[in-house]
Amino acid sequence: MSSRRSRSRHSGSSRITDDQINDLVSKLQQLLPEMHSRRSDKKSATKVLQETCNYIRSLHREVDDLSERLSELLENADTTQADLIRSLIMQ
Amino acid sequence: MSSLSQNPKKTLLFSAMKNPNTLKKKLASRFLKAMKKLKYKMSPSPPASIAEKKRRHRAVRAAAYASMASAVGPRRAWSRALLRKMKGRKRARRNPGNMNTRFGLNHLCDIVPGGEAMDSCSLLNETAHYIKCLVAQVQIMREILHSSSSSSTIL
Repeated sequence: MSSRRSRSRHSGSSRITDDQINDLVSKLQQLLPEMHSRRSDKKSATKVLQETCNYIRSLHREVDDLSERLSELLENADTTQADLIRSLIMQ
Repeated sequence: MSSLSQNPKKTLLFSAMKNPNTLKKKLASRFLKAMKKLKYKMSPSPPASIAEKKRRHRAVRAAAYASMASAVGPRRAWSRALLRKMKGRKRARRNPGNMNTRFGLNHLCDIVPGGEAMDSCSLLNETAHYIKCLVAQVQIMREILHSSSSSSTIL
């Protein structure tokens, strides 16, 4: 990834520096599930963004899958009442 | 906390996260309410056609995102974008400068709700919060599933 040291190209608007972006990207990296054994290795921003996209997509798929299973659960009588009570107690 | 979201370009920190427990509680209560509503709407006859099953699946998924968006409310750009989509309003203007191609953010802005209207800093901030909420939502859904697969008697 080319590291352009260019400052803002838009005259008059706030300047977003590369350092700002890199800082935010490194904070994003901390949110990602660590798949590899090496922790706190500085990954390239491109890699972090790529993994972020993949992570969000996998979360969307999980929501989809869990929705399907929950919708099947809804068919059974009385489950929702028990879920409600149990989940509220678990919080 | 709110001032940080008004000046996303000037802050280097993500805005201080609310206590994650309160967020999760809010998410859980809204989602469970939505599920209850869905259950009452369901037709009582047990044999459901495949189309009906798909409709229920979509309804639960919509409820998941809806409860996420309404629990966060208008505080975040991504939740505002989701709420706009749910109400059928127009999308926000696209980011005219389109600085998102700079760091390969073009995929991310398609994935995060409302991403196309954000500048790079906001997009990264919003992504972080969006991920946290998604993770919480997934946890809640899992917990509901697990609690009902164990013994069905109440306590």
